[in-house]
Amino acid sequence: MSVARVSLQPAFVLHHRPYRDTSALLEIFTPEFGRIGLVARGLRSAKSRLQGVVQPFCPLLVSWSGRGELATLTGCEPSGMLTRLDGARVLSGFYLNELLLRLLHRHDPHPALFECYAQTLHLLQQPDMEQRALRIFEKHLLREMGYALMLDHEAESGVPIEPAEMYSYHLERGPLTCAAGAYAGIRIQGHSLLALLNETLHDAASLREAKLLMRAALGLYLGNKPLRSRELYIDFRKSRALSPSPSSSPVLENAL
Amino acid sequence: MPQDSLINDLIQALRCLPGVGPKSAQRMAFHLLERNRAGGRALAQALTAAMDNIHHCASCRSLSESELCRLCADPRRDRGLLCVVETPADVLAVDRATDYKGLYFVLMGHLSPLDGIGPNEIGLDKLAARFDSGGITEVILATNPTVEGEATAHYISELARARGIRPTRIAHGVPLGGELEYVDSGTLSHAFSGRRDI
Repeated sequence: MSVARVSLQPAFVLHHRPYRDTSALLEIFTPEFGRIGLVARGLRSAKSRLQGVVQPFCPLLVSWSGRGELATLTGCEPSGMLTRLDGARVLSGFYLNELLLRLLHRHDPHPALFECYAQTLHLLQQPDMEQRALRIFEKHLLREMGYALMLDHEAESGVPIEPAEMYSYHLERGPLTCAAGAYAGIRIQGHSLLALLNETLHDAASLREAKLLMRAALGLYLGNKPLRSRELYIDFRKSRALSPSPSSSPVLENAL
Repeated sequence: MPQDSLINDLIQALRCLPGVGPKSAQRMAFHLLERNRAGGRALAQALTAAMDNIHHCASCRSLSESELCRLCADPRRDRGLLCVVETPADVLAVDRATDYKGLYFVLMGHLSPLDGIGPNEIGLDKLAARFDSGGITEVILATNPTVEGEATAHYISELARARGIRPTRIAHGVPLGGELEYVDSGTLSHAFSGRRDI
Protein backbone atom coordinates (compact mmCIF):
# COMPACT_ATOMS: atom_id res chain seq x y z
CA MET A 1 0.00 0.00 0.00
CA SER A 2 1.43 3.33 -0.98
CA VAL A 3 1.70 6.07 1.57
CA ALA A 4 -0.67 8.94 0.92
CA ARG A 5 0.90 12.37 1.04
CA VAL A 6 -1.26 15.42 1.35
CA SER A 7 0.27 18.83 1.27
CA LEU A 8 -1.02 22.20 2.41
CA GLN A 9 -4.60 21.23 2.95
CA PRO A 10 -6.73 23.94 4.62
CA ALA A 11 -7.63 22.77 8.11
CA PHE A 12 -8.75 23.64 11.63
CA VAL A 13 -7.59 21.85 14.74
CA LEU A 14 -10.63 20.53 16.58
CA HIS A 15 -8.85 18.93 19.47
CA HIS A 16 -5.34 18.15 20.62
CA ARG A 17 -4.04 16.12 23.49
CA PRO A 18 -0.58 15.23 24.70
CA TYR A 19 0.87 11.95 23.51
CA ARG A 20 4.06 10.37 24.82
CA ASP A 21 6.80 12.72 26.00
CA THR A 22 6.78 15.48 23.46
CA SER A 23 4.21 14.52 20.83
CA ALA A 24 0.53 15.28 20.48
CA LEU A 25 -2.52 13.67 18.91
CA LEU A 26 -4.57 16.06 16.81
CA GLU A 27 -8.06 15.86 15.39
CA ILE A 28 -8.28 18.20 12.44
CA PHE A 29 -11.13 19.14 10.13
CA THR A 30 -10.38 19.58 6.43
CA PRO A 31 -12.59 20.24 3.39
CA GLU A 32 -11.41 17.36 1.18
CA PHE A 33 -10.68 14.66 3.75
CA GLY A 34 -13.17 15.48 6.48
CA ARG A 35 -12.14 14.88 10.06
CA ILE A 36 -8.82 13.10 10.43
CA GLY A 37 -6.51 12.08 13.24
CA LEU A 38 -2.83 13.01 13.13
CA VAL A 39 0.21 12.35 15.27
CA ALA A 40 2.33 15.47 15.63
CA ARG A 41 5.75 14.18 16.60
CA GLY A 42 7.82 16.44 18.79
CA LEU A 43 5.12 19.12 18.82
CA ARG A 44 5.50 19.76 22.52
CA SER A 45 9.29 19.68 22.64
CA ALA A 46 11.19 22.81 23.58
CA LYS A 47 12.56 23.16 20.06
CA SER A 48 9.19 22.92 18.33
CA ARG A 49 8.25 26.04 16.40
CA LEU A 50 4.77 24.75 15.63
CA GLN A 51 3.42 24.73 19.14
CA GLY A 52 2.03 28.24 18.92
CA VAL A 53 0.60 27.57 15.48
CA VAL A 54 -1.27 24.34 16.12
CA GLN A 55 -4.10 25.81 18.14
CA PRO A 56 -7.86 25.43 17.76
CA PHE A 57 -9.80 28.05 15.77
CA CYS A 58 -6.79 29.17 13.70
CA PRO A 59 -7.02 28.67 9.94
CA LEU A 60 -4.06 26.47 8.97
CA LEU A 61 -2.49 24.78 5.98
CA VAL A 62 -1.58 21.28 7.05
CA SER A 63 0.52 18.58 5.38
CA TRP A 64 0.60 14.95 6.42
CA SER A 65 1.54 11.51 5.22
CA GLY A 66 0.28 8.06 5.96
CA ARG A 67 -2.89 6.06 5.72
CA GLY A 68 -5.17 4.46 8.23
CA GLU A 69 -6.56 5.85 11.44
CA LEU A 70 -3.60 8.04 12.36
CA ALA A 71 -1.42 9.81 9.82
CA THR A 72 1.71 11.79 10.66
CA LEU A 73 1.84 15.56 10.58
CA THR A 74 4.63 16.70 8.29
CA GLY A 75 4.03 20.42 8.13
CA CYS A 76 1.75 23.16 9.30
CA GLU A 77 1.56 26.87 8.70
CA PRO A 78 -0.98 29.55 9.53
CA SER A 79 -3.19 30.74 6.69
CA GLY A 80 -4.88 34.08 6.65
CA MET A 81 -5.82 36.19 9.61
CA LEU A 82 -5.68 34.79 13.08
CA THR A 83 -9.09 34.06 14.57
CA ARG A 84 -9.15 35.41 18.08
CA LEU A 85 -12.11 34.26 20.13
CA ASP A 86 -12.10 36.08 23.45
CA GLY A 87 -12.52 34.20 26.71
CA ALA A 88 -16.27 33.75 26.65
CA ARG A 89 -16.71 33.10 22.93
CA VAL A 90 -14.09 30.40 23.09
CA LEU A 91 -16.70 28.32 24.88
CA SER A 92 -18.97 28.54 21.82
CA GLY A 93 -15.97 27.50 19.75
CA PHE A 94 -15.44 24.45 21.96
CA TYR A 95 -19.11 23.67 21.44
CA LEU A 96 -18.70 23.68 17.64
CA ASN A 97 -15.68 21.42 17.94
CA GLU A 98 -17.40 19.03 20.28
CA LEU A 99 -20.34 18.72 17.87
CA LEU A 100 -18.00 17.93 14.98
CA LEU A 101 -16.07 15.39 17.04
CA ARG A 102 -19.20 13.67 18.24
CA LEU A 103 -21.23 13.71 15.05
CA LEU A 104 -18.86 13.40 12.08
CA HIS A 105 -17.07 10.21 11.13
CA ARG A 106 -13.39 10.30 10.27
CA HIS A 107 -12.48 10.47 6.57
CA ASP A 108 -15.93 11.66 5.58
CA PRO A 109 -15.50 14.86 3.54
CA HIS A 110 -17.90 17.77 4.00
CA PRO A 111 -16.51 20.71 2.01
CA ALA A 112 -19.63 22.83 2.45
CA LEU A 113 -19.59 22.30 6.21
CA PHE A 114 -15.92 23.29 6.36
CA GLU A 115 -16.82 26.56 4.66
CA CYS A 116 -19.67 27.03 7.13
CA TYR A 117 -17.40 26.30 10.12
CA ALA A 118 -14.89 28.93 9.00
CA GLN A 119 -17.73 31.42 8.48
CA THR A 120 -19.17 30.64 11.92
CA LEU A 121 -15.83 31.26 13.64
CA HIS A 122 -15.65 34.56 11.80
CA LEU A 123 -19.16 35.53 12.93
CA LEU A 124 -18.42 34.54 16.52
CA GLN A 125 -15.83 37.30 16.68
CA GLN A 126 -18.47 39.91 15.96
CA PRO A 127 -20.78 41.33 18.60
CA ASP A 128 -24.36 40.06 18.87
CA MET A 129 -23.93 37.31 16.32
CA GLU A 130 -23.26 34.40 18.63
CA GLN A 131 -26.71 32.81 18.77
CA ARG A 132 -27.50 33.28 15.11
CA ALA A 133 -24.14 31.92 14.03
CA LEU A 134 -24.52 28.82 16.20
CA ARG A 135 -28.05 28.05 14.98
CA ILE A 136 -27.09 28.39 11.34
CA PHE A 137 -24.10 26.13 11.88
CA GLU A 138 -26.28 23.53 13.58
CA LYS A 139 -28.74 23.63 10.69
CA HIS A 140 -25.95 23.04 8.14
CA LEU A 141 -24.43 20.32 10.29
CA LEU A 142 -27.72 18.39 10.39
CA ARG A 143 -28.13 18.76 6.64
CA GLU A 144 -24.59 17.51 5.98
CA MET A 145 -25.23 14.52 8.20
CA GLY A 146 -28.25 13.72 6.05
CA TYR A 147 -30.86 14.72 8.62
CA ALA A 148 -31.91 18.12 7.25
CA LEU A 149 -34.83 19.67 9.10
CA MET A 150 -37.97 20.34 7.09
CA LEU A 151 -38.54 24.06 7.49
CA ASP A 152 -40.47 25.26 4.45
CA HIS A 153 -43.74 23.35 4.46
CA GLU A 154 -46.14 21.54 6.73
CA ALA A 155 -45.30 17.82 6.91
CA GLU A 156 -48.83 16.43 6.57
CA SER A 157 -50.41 18.61 3.90
CA GLY A 158 -47.36 20.05 2.12
CA VAL A 159 -48.77 23.57 2.54
CA PRO A 160 -46.06 26.26 2.80
CA ILE A 161 -45.32 27.47 6.33
CA GLU A 162 -47.42 30.48 7.42
CA PRO A 163 -45.44 33.00 9.51
CA ALA A 164 -48.33 33.73 11.87
CA GLU A 165 -49.29 30.10 12.48
CA MET A 166 -48.11 28.07 15.50
CA TYR A 167 -46.61 24.67 14.66
CA SER A 168 -45.60 21.69 16.63
CA TYR A 169 -42.39 20.14 15.35
CA HIS A 170 -42.08 16.37 15.35
CA LEU A 171 -38.47 15.45 14.80
CA GLU A 172 -39.10 12.37 12.66
CA ARG A 173 -41.82 14.02 10.57
CA GLY A 174 -41.47 17.80 10.48
CA PRO A 175 -43.69 20.73 11.42
CA LEU A 176 -47.40 19.95 11.89
CA THR A 177 -50.11 22.50 12.47
CA CYS A 178 -51.00 22.46 16.09
CA ALA A 179 -54.39 20.85 15.41
CA ALA A 180 -52.89 17.89 13.54
CA GLY A 181 -49.92 17.56 15.87
CA ALA A 182 -52.17 17.57 18.92
CA TYR A 183 -49.62 19.72 20.82
CA ALA A 184 -47.00 17.02 21.20
CA GLY A 185 -43.55 17.88 19.87
CA ILE A 186 -41.73 21.21 20.04
CA ARG A 187 -43.91 24.30 19.70
CA ILE A 188 -42.53 26.79 17.24
CA GLN A 189 -43.95 29.80 15.43
CA GLY A 190 -44.07 29.70 11.58
CA HIS A 191 -42.09 32.91 11.62
CA SER A 192 -39.23 31.23 13.47
CA LEU A 193 -39.17 28.25 11.08
CA LEU A 194 -38.90 30.62 8.12
CA ALA A 195 -36.26 32.71 9.88
CA LEU A 196 -34.17 29.59 10.42
CA LEU A 197 -34.72 28.55 6.80
CA ASN A 198 -33.64 31.94 5.44
CA GLU A 199 -30.96 32.43 8.12
CA THR A 200 -32.51 35.70 9.23
CA LEU A 201 -32.84 34.99 12.94
CA HIS A 202 -33.04 38.47 14.41
CA ASP A 203 -35.62 38.61 17.19
CA ALA A 204 -35.34 37.03 20.61
CA ALA A 205 -38.42 34.81 20.17
CA SER A 206 -37.14 33.16 16.97
CA LEU A 207 -33.73 32.67 18.50
CA ARG A 208 -35.18 31.03 21.58
CA GLU A 209 -37.50 28.74 19.61
CA ALA A 210 -34.78 27.82 17.12
CA LYS A 211 -32.45 26.99 20.00
CA LEU A 212 -34.95 24.58 21.56
CA LEU A 213 -35.67 22.95 18.20
CA MET A 214 -31.98 22.49 17.41
CA ARG A 215 -31.20 21.17 20.86
CA ALA A 216 -33.87 18.50 20.47
CA ALA A 217 -32.86 17.64 16.89
CA LEU A 218 -29.16 17.30 17.73
CA GLY A 219 -30.07 15.41 20.89
CA LEU A 220 -31.45 12.60 18.71
CA TYR A 221 -28.00 11.93 17.29
CA LEU A 222 -25.84 12.85 20.26
CA GLY A 223 -27.27 10.15 22.51
CA ASN A 224 -27.35 10.32 26.29
CA LYS A 225 -23.87 11.64 26.96
CA PRO A 226 -24.16 15.37 27.72
CA LEU A 227 -22.13 17.92 25.78
CA ARG A 228 -19.37 18.99 28.17
CA SER A 229 -18.82 22.31 26.43
CA ARG A 230 -22.48 23.15 26.91
CA GLU A 231 -22.27 22.35 30.63
CA LEU A 232 -19.23 24.58 30.94
CA TYR A 233 -20.99 27.36 29.06
CA ILE A 234 -23.96 27.25 31.42
CA ASP A 235 -21.65 27.13 34.44
CA PHE A 236 -19.80 30.14 33.16
CA ARG A 237 -22.99 32.13 32.58
CA LYS A 238 -23.99 31.43 36.17
CA SER A 239 -20.71 32.65 37.64
CA ARG A 240 -20.86 35.64 35.32
CA ALA A 241 -24.34 36.54 36.50
CA LEU A 242 -23.00 36.92 40.06
CA SER A 243 -20.53 39.57 38.98
CA PRO A 244 -21.44 43.07 40.21
CA SER A 245 -19.11 44.89 37.80
CA PRO A 246 -19.54 43.56 34.27
CA SER A 247 -16.27 42.90 32.47
CA SER A 248 -15.23 44.58 29.26
CA SER A 249 -15.80 41.50 27.12
CA PRO A 250 -19.10 41.10 25.27
CA VAL A 251 -22.27 39.92 26.97
CA LEU A 252 -22.66 36.20 27.00
CA GLU A 253 -25.98 35.40 25.42
CA ASN A 254 -28.00 32.44 26.56
CA ALA A 255 -26.89 30.72 23.39
CA LEU A 256 -26.58 27.04 24.26
CA MET B 1 15.54 -14.93 26.71
CA PRO B 2 13.45 -16.40 29.52
CA GLN B 3 13.92 -14.28 32.62
CA ASP B 4 13.16 -14.71 36.27
CA SER B 5 9.91 -13.15 37.25
CA LEU B 6 11.57 -10.70 39.66
CA ILE B 7 13.69 -9.24 36.87
CA ASN B 8 10.66 -9.13 34.63
CA ASP B 9 8.64 -7.36 37.30
CA LEU B 10 11.38 -4.78 37.72
CA ILE B 11 11.56 -4.15 33.97
CA GLN B 12 7.79 -3.82 33.75
CA ALA B 13 7.74 -1.46 36.75
CA LEU B 14 10.40 0.81 35.27
CA ARG B 15 8.32 1.21 32.12
CA CYS B 16 5.82 3.37 34.01
CA LEU B 17 8.31 6.24 33.69
CA PRO B 18 7.74 8.65 30.79
CA GLY B 19 9.90 7.95 27.75
CA VAL B 20 11.04 4.54 28.99
CA GLY B 21 10.36 1.69 26.60
CA PRO B 22 11.17 -2.03 27.01
CA LYS B 23 14.78 -1.63 25.92
CA SER B 24 15.65 1.26 28.25
CA ALA B 25 13.79 -0.41 31.10
CA GLN B 26 15.89 -3.52 30.64
CA ARG B 27 19.08 -1.48 30.55
CA MET B 28 18.13 0.33 33.76
CA ALA B 29 17.22 -2.91 35.51
CA PHE B 30 20.52 -4.62 34.60
CA HIS B 31 22.50 -1.54 35.52
CA LEU B 32 20.98 -1.43 38.99
CA LEU B 33 21.38 -5.16 39.54
CA GLU B 34 24.92 -5.50 38.24
CA ARG B 35 26.59 -2.22 39.08
CA ASN B 36 24.64 -0.20 41.57
CA ARG B 37 22.66 -2.19 44.10
CA ALA B 38 23.10 0.51 46.75
CA GLY B 39 21.69 3.12 44.37
CA GLY B 40 18.77 0.82 43.59
CA ARG B 41 17.98 0.40 47.28
CA ALA B 42 18.18 4.15 47.86
CA LEU B 43 15.86 4.68 44.90
CA ALA B 44 13.38 2.16 46.24
CA GLN B 45 13.37 3.80 49.66
CA ALA B 46 13.03 7.31 48.24
CA LEU B 47 10.17 6.17 46.03
CA THR B 48 8.32 4.48 48.87
CA ALA B 49 8.77 7.45 51.19
CA ALA B 50 7.68 9.92 48.53
CA MET B 51 4.66 7.90 47.43
CA ASP B 52 3.48 7.47 51.00
CA ASN B 53 4.09 10.97 52.30
CA ILE B 54 3.62 13.45 49.49
CA HIS B 55 0.12 14.73 48.85
CA HIS B 56 -1.52 17.95 47.75
CA CYS B 57 -1.12 21.10 49.83
CA ALA B 58 -4.42 21.97 51.49
CA SER B 59 -4.11 25.58 50.46
CA CYS B 60 -2.57 25.72 46.96
CA ARG B 61 -3.04 22.12 45.69
CA SER B 62 0.65 21.88 44.85
CA LEU B 63 2.65 18.83 45.97
CA SER B 64 3.77 18.88 49.58
CA GLU B 65 4.75 16.53 52.35
CA SER B 66 3.18 18.57 55.11
CA GLU B 67 -0.38 19.82 55.42
CA LEU B 68 0.67 23.21 54.00
CA CYS B 69 3.51 23.46 51.50
CA ARG B 70 6.67 25.43 52.23
CA LEU B 71 5.47 28.46 50.24
CA CYS B 72 1.99 28.59 51.77
CA ALA B 73 3.37 28.23 55.29
CA ASP B 74 5.99 30.98 54.87
CA PRO B 75 4.84 33.95 56.99
CA ARG B 76 6.95 36.43 54.98
CA ARG B 77 4.93 36.00 51.79
CA ASP B 78 2.27 38.55 50.80
CA ARG B 79 -1.15 37.00 51.44
CA GLY B 80 -2.93 39.63 49.34
CA LEU B 81 -1.49 38.28 46.08
CA LEU B 82 -2.42 34.97 44.52
CA CYS B 83 -0.83 33.60 41.37
CA VAL B 84 -2.79 30.89 39.54
CA VAL B 85 -0.73 28.39 37.51
CA GLU B 86 -1.41 25.07 35.79
CA THR B 87 1.27 22.77 37.23
CA PRO B 88 3.69 22.51 40.18
CA ALA B 89 6.53 22.96 37.66
CA ASP B 90 5.06 26.39 36.80
CA VAL B 91 5.33 27.39 40.48
CA LEU B 92 9.05 26.64 40.41
CA ALA B 93 9.46 28.48 37.10
CA VAL B 94 7.72 31.63 38.35
CA ASP B 95 9.49 31.46 41.69
CA ARG B 96 12.93 31.16 40.10
CA ALA B 97 12.40 33.78 37.41
CA THR B 98 10.58 36.56 39.25
CA ASP B 99 10.69 38.36 42.58
CA TYR B 100 7.06 37.49 43.18
CA LYS B 101 6.40 37.29 46.89
CA GLY B 102 2.77 36.27 47.02
CA LEU B 103 1.11 32.86 47.22
CA TYR B 104 0.22 30.34 44.52
CA PHE B 105 -2.72 28.23 43.49
CA VAL B 106 -2.04 25.21 41.29
CA LEU B 107 -4.87 23.99 39.06
CA MET B 108 -3.17 20.72 38.02
CA GLY B 109 -4.49 21.23 34.50
CA HIS B 110 -6.75 23.57 32.57
CA LEU B 111 -10.38 23.68 31.48
CA SER B 112 -10.82 21.32 28.57
CA PRO B 113 -14.46 20.50 27.96
CA LEU B 114 -13.66 18.08 25.13
CA ASP B 115 -11.63 15.95 27.55
CA GLY B 116 -14.33 16.23 30.18
CA ILE B 117 -12.29 18.54 32.41
CA GLY B 118 -14.61 21.12 33.93
CA PRO B 119 -14.24 23.73 36.70
CA ASN B 120 -14.48 21.24 39.57
CA GLU B 121 -11.84 18.91 38.14
CA ILE B 122 -9.26 21.71 38.36
CA GLY B 123 -10.33 22.82 41.81
CA LEU B 124 -12.09 26.05 40.91
CA ASP B 125 -14.65 25.38 43.65
CA LYS B 126 -11.74 25.43 46.11
CA LEU B 127 -10.34 28.56 44.52
CA ALA B 128 -13.70 30.31 44.80
CA ALA B 129 -13.87 29.33 48.47
CA ARG B 130 -10.41 30.81 48.93
CA PHE B 131 -11.53 34.05 47.27
CA ASP B 132 -14.53 34.11 49.61
CA SER B 133 -12.37 33.69 52.68
CA GLY B 134 -11.07 37.21 52.05
CA GLY B 135 -7.72 38.95 52.23
CA ILE B 136 -6.86 38.59 48.53
CA THR B 137 -6.64 41.83 46.58
CA GLU B 138 -5.16 40.70 43.29
CA VAL B 139 -5.17 37.39 41.43
CA ILE B 140 -2.47 36.94 38.80
CA LEU B 141 -3.51 34.53 36.06
CA ALA B 142 -0.42 32.72 34.83
CA THR B 143 -2.06 29.87 32.91
CA ASN B 144 -0.45 28.86 29.61
CA PRO B 145 -1.13 31.03 26.56
CA THR B 146 -3.07 28.27 24.80
CA VAL B 147 -6.74 28.40 23.87
CA GLU B 148 -7.60 26.26 26.91
CA GLY B 149 -5.34 28.28 29.18
CA GLU B 150 -6.99 31.50 28.04
CA ALA B 151 -10.45 30.04 28.62
CA THR B 152 -9.37 29.01 32.11
CA ALA B 153 -7.95 32.46 32.85
CA HIS B 154 -11.15 34.07 31.65
CA TYR B 155 -13.29 31.81 33.79
CA ILE B 156 -11.24 32.58 36.91
CA SER B 157 -11.24 36.30 36.14
CA GLU B 158 -15.04 36.24 36.32
CA LEU B 159 -14.94 34.40 39.65
CA ALA B 160 -12.55 37.04 40.99
CA ARG B 161 -14.45 40.00 39.60
CA ALA B 162 -17.69 38.74 41.14
CA ARG B 163 -15.96 39.01 44.53
CA GLY B 164 -14.36 42.39 43.99
CA ILE B 165 -10.85 40.99 43.48
CA ARG B 166 -8.68 42.50 40.76
CA PRO B 167 -7.77 39.88 38.12
CA THR B 168 -4.60 40.42 36.06
CA ARG B 169 -3.17 38.34 33.23
CA ILE B 170 0.53 37.87 32.57
CA ALA B 171 1.71 39.58 29.36
CA HIS B 172 2.43 37.63 26.19
CA GLY B 173 5.04 38.71 23.73
CA VAL B 174 8.21 38.27 21.79
CA PRO B 175 10.84 36.21 23.63
CA LEU B 176 13.89 38.14 24.84
CA GLY B 177 16.69 37.91 22.33
CA GLY B 178 14.23 36.76 19.66
CA GLU B 179 13.93 38.09 16.15
CA LEU B 180 10.57 39.37 14.96
CA GLU B 181 10.93 37.64 11.61
CA TYR B 182 10.96 34.22 13.25
CA VAL B 183 8.26 34.80 15.83
CA ASP B 184 4.97 33.09 15.00
CA SER B 185 2.17 35.37 13.86
CA GLY B 186 -0.07 34.69 16.86
CA THR B 187 2.58 35.76 19.35
CA LEU B 188 3.51 38.78 17.29
CA SER B 189 -0.08 40.00 16.95
CA HIS B 190 -0.55 39.52 20.71
CA ALA B 191 2.63 41.45 21.41
CA PHE B 192 1.57 44.18 19.03
CA SER B 193 -1.90 44.66 20.47
CA GLY B 194 -0.42 44.58 23.98
CA ARG B 195 2.15 47.34 23.26
CA ARG B 196 2.72 50.00 25.90
CA ASP B 197 4.23 53.44 26.38
CA ILE B 198 7.92 53.74 27.06
